[in-house]
Amino acid sequence: MAKHLVTLTVNGDTYDLVVSDNQTLLDVIRDEVNLKGTKRGCTTGSCGVCCINNAKGEAVLSCLTHALEWDGEEITTIEGLEADGELDAMQKAFIEYGAVQCGFCTPGVIMSARAIVNAHPEPTEEQINAGLAGVNCRCTGQIKVKEAIREDHRFRHKRETGSGTQD
Amino acid sequence: MARKTEIGTPDRSRRRPKFDGELGSREKIDLDVIGKRQPRLDGPEKVSGRSVFADDVQLPGMLCGKILRSRYAHARILGIDTSRAEALPGVKAVITATDAGEIDVNGREPVFASDVVTYIGEEIAAVAALDELTAEKALDLIEIEYEELPAVMSMRRALKEGAPLVDGKTEGNVWSDDIDNYGEVEPAFEAADYIFEEKYEAGVTHNLFAEFHVAVVDFSLPDKLTLYTPTQTSYLMQHALAPAFGLTLSQVQIIHLNTGGAFSGRGSVRPHHYIAILLSRETRRPVKIFATGDEEFLVCRALGENKYKMRMAMKKDGTITAFDMEAEMDGGAVGTEVGYFGWMAGLCNSWVFPLEGLRMRRRCVLTNNRPNFLGHGGLMLSTNAAIMQLINTVAKKIDRDPMDIMYQNAIEEGHTGLSGEWFASCGLRECIETVRKASDWDNRYGKLEPYHGLGIGIGSMAAGAKGAFRHDTSAVMVRVSEDGIVTVYTGIPDMGQGTHTTMAVIVAEVLGIDPNDMKVVAGDTDLTPIDVGAFAQRGTIQTGNAARNAALDAREQLTVYAAGKLEVDKDDLVFRGGKVYAQSAPDKLMNFKDLVYKTLHGKEGRSVMGRGFYNSPLQFGTTSWSFGAQIAEVKVDPDTGEVQVLKVWVAHDLGRAINPLACEGQIDGQVYSAMSQILYEEVQTDAGLYLNPSRLEYKVPRSYEMPEIDYYLIETIDPFGPFGAKEIGEGIIVVSGGAIAAAVSDALGGEFIGEMPMAPWRVLKHIKRAQRQEAAGRTAA
Repeated sequence: MAKHLVTLTVNGDTYDLVVSDNQTLLDVIRDEVNLKGTKRGCTTGSCGVCCINNAKGEAVLSCLTHALEWDGEEITTIEGLEADGELDAMQKAFIEYGAVQCGFCTPGVIMSARAIVNAHPEPTEEQINAGLAGVNCRCTGQIKVKEAIREDHRFRHKRETGSGTQD
Repeated sequence: MARKTEIGTPDRSRRRPKFDGELGSREKIDLDVIGKRQPRLDGPEKVSGRSVFADDVQLPGMLCGKILRSRYAHARILGIDTSRAEALPGVKAVITATDAGEIDVNGREPVFASDVVTYIGEEIAAVAALDELTAEKALDLIEIEYEELPAVMSMRRALKEGAPLVDGKTEGNVWSDDIDNYGEVEPAFEAADYIFEEKYEAGVTHNLFAEFHVAVVDFSLPDKLTLYTPTQTSYLMQHALAPAFGLTLSQVQIIHLNTGGAFSGRGSVRPHHYIAILLSRETRRPVKIFATGDEEFLVCRALGENKYKMRMAMKKDGTITAFDMEAEMDGGAVGTEVGYFGWMAGLCNSWVFPLEGLRMRRRCVLTNNRPNFLGHGGLMLSTNAAIMQLINTVAKKIDRDPMDIMYQNAIEEGHTGLSGEWFASCGLRECIETVRKASDWDNRYGKLEPYHGLGIGIGSMAAGAKGAFRHDTSAVMVRVSEDGIVTVYTGIPDMGQGTHTTMAVIVAEVLGIDPNDMKVVAGDTDLTPIDVGAFAQRGTIQTGNAARNAALDAREQLTVYAAGKLEVDKDDLVFRGGKVYAQSAPDKLMNFKDLVYKTLHGKEGRSVMGRGFYNSPLQFGTTSWSFGAQIAEVKVDPDTGEVQVLKVWVAHDLGRAINPLACEGQIDGQVYSAMSQILYEEVQTDAGLYLNPSRLEYKVPRSYEMPEIDYYLIETIDPFGPFGAKEIGEGIIVVSGGAIAAAVSDALGGEFIGEMPMAPWRVLKHIKRAQRQEAAGRTAA
């Protein structure tokens, strides 16, 4: 198995990594960078629990892509959403609206949800549904997940204007 | 070999708890914390990726374990050669049946097949290696010589005369044949004005929890076994594993930090747990086994194929008097107590209808399919889907509104069921009236466009099932720390249902504090008191009562100092809003945190630690049942057969809503899962091979397919539940299934659809047949 040097920036931190041909981005995030929030599920792109965001803020299934393709790239994982010790608006919305149950798929669902609002700050029903097509959550039936995504902007507004209770 | 039982009506007196109060009083108590929308206490960890699941556990020196599984449904193993695998650098152990010795799984099945394999996916050998790739390579190097044997892949084949015997000894492949006869069945049918008969079949499913099967084991020291795994019952796992490995219960530590969904699929130990333990014992290093994508479908033990025949006796006025049900259940290659779930499924009917007679026959049939066990909603989902559909279609035949039939037959508070169950609280009729009004049923039913339907389902669910498990005890400890922070210690797993937050809310109510000032310690048998686990909808009522008792014990300890300090009688004290004060003189008050500090740092140094336990006062069964009514509205595409669920109105008598936010979440998930199983979910196989072993091909609803859901939480304040609470665990899914199935049938003009899932091709078959009949009718005219 050939080895390659890969420089990968995860949540703003840059890592110099030695990766094998067969290592996926998911393997590297979990085993080399040692961030366990990105979950291992089917590893064949059907369950969505390994979702992360690329530099453009788009959803990427980390189990389906080789790590060596990510040399020089920047990615964001679930651990990278907090800023200044505070949870991100989407994370807060998920808690408040009860969009979390067993929590195993939650990191992947939140990264998918972030990708939706990155592209459409106040998404329509269709945009939310399209963005959630890659995940399935038997606990919540995605109903409160959608509610949280619809209301995420409310939490963002709080942070931007400083009018929220957290300030 | 087959087990045969026949049981008549049991002694009813055993199932009635002592109760002196007044039924239906719905005692009004002023509550401060209960009934508020409380976000999960573990929310911040779960949304930030901090929550640790078994696969995230990384122990020093840990090896990767992999299992070699049978490629044949039935074959003799002529030889196993592991020498090449053992020689591969990086391989630390290769084990087979010889290494498992006398150890078996639950006394039912071998850990590894030795001379015969009886299903595809059966465990034959396992390896532990430095990394996953090496372990996989080693599996490829194990050589097995098989001699294929004839296999039976369906119940129909298995029951045929002369069919090969799946386990070589069970006559006719009937693993169990149980009959229960409650009340007077035959007289009820003889006296009936109408007898309706239908057949119903349900297909194979997967529990589809998000977290795959995984076990991380450290058994590197001979007297200490630690197992990290998702589970619904750590304490029953201890009971299974300790004797198998010659350990005491306390030498087995089960850690389930978080459980990524269960849906009735994590109630037992499975071969992979034993294999990980054997590999760790062999290598004296920690071992992790993690199921890969399609392996997950092979090892999952959800529902197999189930077939029902049912007869219903009815009087002219619409009174339902008796059911006679026969179920055939595919147990797969290993006989299981799936018959018990068949019993529950039949019995459910006597929890909603005041029947004169109920007969249930359940046969568990062995086949060379995957061993089956239980799915979300169990057999109760499929039987209720059939029965509710039957009642909805029958109503049309006798020119009655199904809503009226449901209402007229619904049991009421104080009713005694056929097997002796006594229903101390019951809001079934209130639920029916609620959804009837909310959905505008009276103005809409029967008046919708073609291929557009409405259906009503009702149902009930027992909160707890004492006697189904080794024991039924729940114990809870409440520790009040120096700074006034209260920690709840519980052994009940939270696999998403939110039970840890429920327990915190109950304790917070008793101590008058904010649940956000609390911690829950759970998921580790070394730390928490005993709890038999989270199944049979027992959490809220059993563990909830234990939590309440533990909180009351802690409060009692705190009143000693408070009563003296405030110079009031201790029975006069109120704990509320973070304060402790006298009911008679509210200005005599102190802060909860001050009280805790002073109690601890007083002369005696009283540390406050409450303990509580609960075990149902009955010998068997439960004291409390939830009830529900739901209406579903669906639209069917006559060209494709595709069903769209537009809306579901849900009214559920849950006793008391401890945390309405979590209750709504339970409703969402169960409507989703009911809809998924009624319309979509089906493991497809060809000669035992899985054709759709992934979440792309095994269809479940996507967010755009979810209906709008209206929630109505009906509080009947059960006299036995903590603060009157019963359950909202699987009570919803059973009723949703009935409502959705009935709505599809209504959309097709009242035709009974005897197959589940109602996949487009099946629905289309019914549409085409109806269209052909209509065309033939026109031609004849």
